[in-house]
Amino acid sequence: MKAFRGLDQFSVTGGLAALAVLGFLPTLFPGKYLIGVLTVAAIYGIWSVSWDFMSGLTGRENFGHSLFIGVGAYTAGFLNVQFGWGPWWSLPASMVIAALFGLVLGFPTLRLRGPYFALAMLSAAVIMQRLMLIFWEFTGGEEGIQDITPLIKDPLHYYWFVLALLGGITWFLAWMARSRWGLILRAIRGDEATCLAAGLPITTYKIASLIISAAFAGLGGALYAHYQLQVSPQLFAVVTSITIITMVYVGGMGTIFGPVGGALLLTLMTEGLRNFGEWRLMIYSLLLIFILFFLPNGIVAPTWNRLRHLFSQERP
Amino acid sequence: MEILIYGAVTSAIYALLAVGFTLIFGVARILNLAHGSFYALGAYGTYVLTSIAGLPLWTAALVSIGFVAVFGVVVEKVLIRPLRHSQLGVLMISLAVALVVEQTLFLVFGSEYRNVPSFVDTKINLGGVDVAGQRLLTLAVAAVAIGALYLFIQFTRLGSAILAISQDPEAAKYMGIPSDKIFSLVMAISAALAALAGVMAGPFLSVQPSMHLLPIVKAFAIVVVGGLGSIPGSIAAAFLLGYAETCVAYLISSSWTEIVSVLATLLMLVFRPAGIFGKRAAF
Repeated sequence: MKAFRGLDQFSVTGGLAALAVLGFLPTLFPGKYLIGVLTVAAIYGIWSVSWDFMSGLTGRENFGHSLFIGVGAYTAGFLNVQFGWGPWWSLPASMVIAALFGLVLGFPTLRLRGPYFALAMLSAAVIMQRLMLIFWEFTGGEEGIQDITPLIKDPLHYYWFVLALLGGITWFLAWMARSRWGLILRAIRGDEATCLAAGLPITTYKIASLIISAAFAGLGGALYAHYQLQVSPQLFAVVTSITIITMVYVGGMGTIFGPVGGALLLTLMTEGLRNFGEWRLMIYSLLLIFILFFLPNGIVAPTWNRLRHLFSQERP
Repeated sequence: MEILIYGAVTSAIYALLAVGFTLIFGVARILNLAHGSFYALGAYGTYVLTSIAGLPLWTAALVSIGFVAVFGVVVEKVLIRPLRHSQLGVLMISLAVALVVEQTLFLVFGSEYRNVPSFVDTKINLGGVDVAGQRLLTLAVAAVAIGALYLFIQFTRLGSAILAISQDPEAAKYMGIPSDKIFSLVMAISAALAALAGVMAGPFLSVQPSMHLLPIVKAFAIVVVGGLGSIPGSIAAAFLLGYAETCVAYLISSSWTEIVSVLATLLMLVFRPAGIFGKRAAF
């Protein structure tokens, strides 16, 4: 299994088993509601894992991930509704456009040390949301863009498609994270000056990682647009970014598969808290504060590692 | 003429926000994303005390500014200080605080716009332009507040302690300056300035739970243009940005004003990341 090089057997079988369970869940408990929840959870998984690849590995926190999500979703909306392109064009187009945004924002901010990147991303997301409202003639304002055609008609099949993409992206990013590339990113988090002294073009690495992260976030945005069948400026909201960051923190930063678990866990959990409605974001923010203080390594990844050790000890 | 006056008022509010934001960064190296929340709490505090508790406006304003200052100190002591060793931890925790405040405001007051009463209702004719008295008062109050801060930092013992820490925290510590107490003080000043901006601008800007986001964006843009940690730089940059936005609003369209700050930030970071006044010159 050359493709899984660097990943231990437990993680691979465990990950595939988890995917299979998630895939079969809707056939065991049929119902549109569950499929919807799981689809959203899988999309959040894509967003979280793409955030983690850039920010978790290099330690440069991105407070404006919603920017790429919104850009991807609006790209899908524009192409589909305004220009009448087929829905499948959305996926590559949203990736390209989001990646371009990543380049434009990453180039000035990632060259610098300090908090410029985090703050610039936050500002850019806030401003994009305002722009969507201000230029309502083109973007539909508060309403957004309606009547997007679905990629795949049958919701169950669409869920499987999203789930497969989530699995593929997680595998790809985990593989990247374990390659030389990922090693360099982690080294950048550890000590930027040493990396520079070793002759590594760290700015190029950081910007390229942001572009990859942005492309997958944009893809997730397009998937979301074709699931909701409409896009709204709310996608750009800072709370979207915070939700994703909380999921990554719950999952365990810099572990790639952890954030996917965090996203699934939190989405399913908040569905359980649905009655609290307005309190949802409050719960997220308080949870984030709690984790920052008491569980800086997250919940999912440490649990997973403990399980792995348990299994590898039992087997000779 | 309109550009001149309205630009000055916008700039004054920006300056109040940015000075506090850059002060706490320059002294304690804290990038406080909850800064906008202080602004929002100042406006909401005045609203609650006047319309619900029925206090006179001046008392209400002072009480809410005081309350926000205390709130800022508590946030710094309880939440930010344990994480000060990591800049990312500070960013995360202050953003989480900002969201908790926003959600609390949303749950208590709902998302509707609220009216904060203005101090002056009359319109004043200035060089052929009718200007709401509140705006002129804002300008005056901002000038007085920033002037007082300048005098405080330049001419008092505490002020020199603040200055000393911003220049070299280690050396200041060896000189026996109690840095933790100074941080609390600076946090109180910073929060009070933001609350003051909220109280003064509340009557003519929108007061609703998510109002804290734009001030943060503006404060960041100003601080980047002026140089992180530099107060004169922030003031200069506040006027630069305030006037640039007002000019854009009058000459092109008010839709484009929001782009000014982002464009300024990005261009500045590309060409002169240290800001116009260079690094670390807290007064």
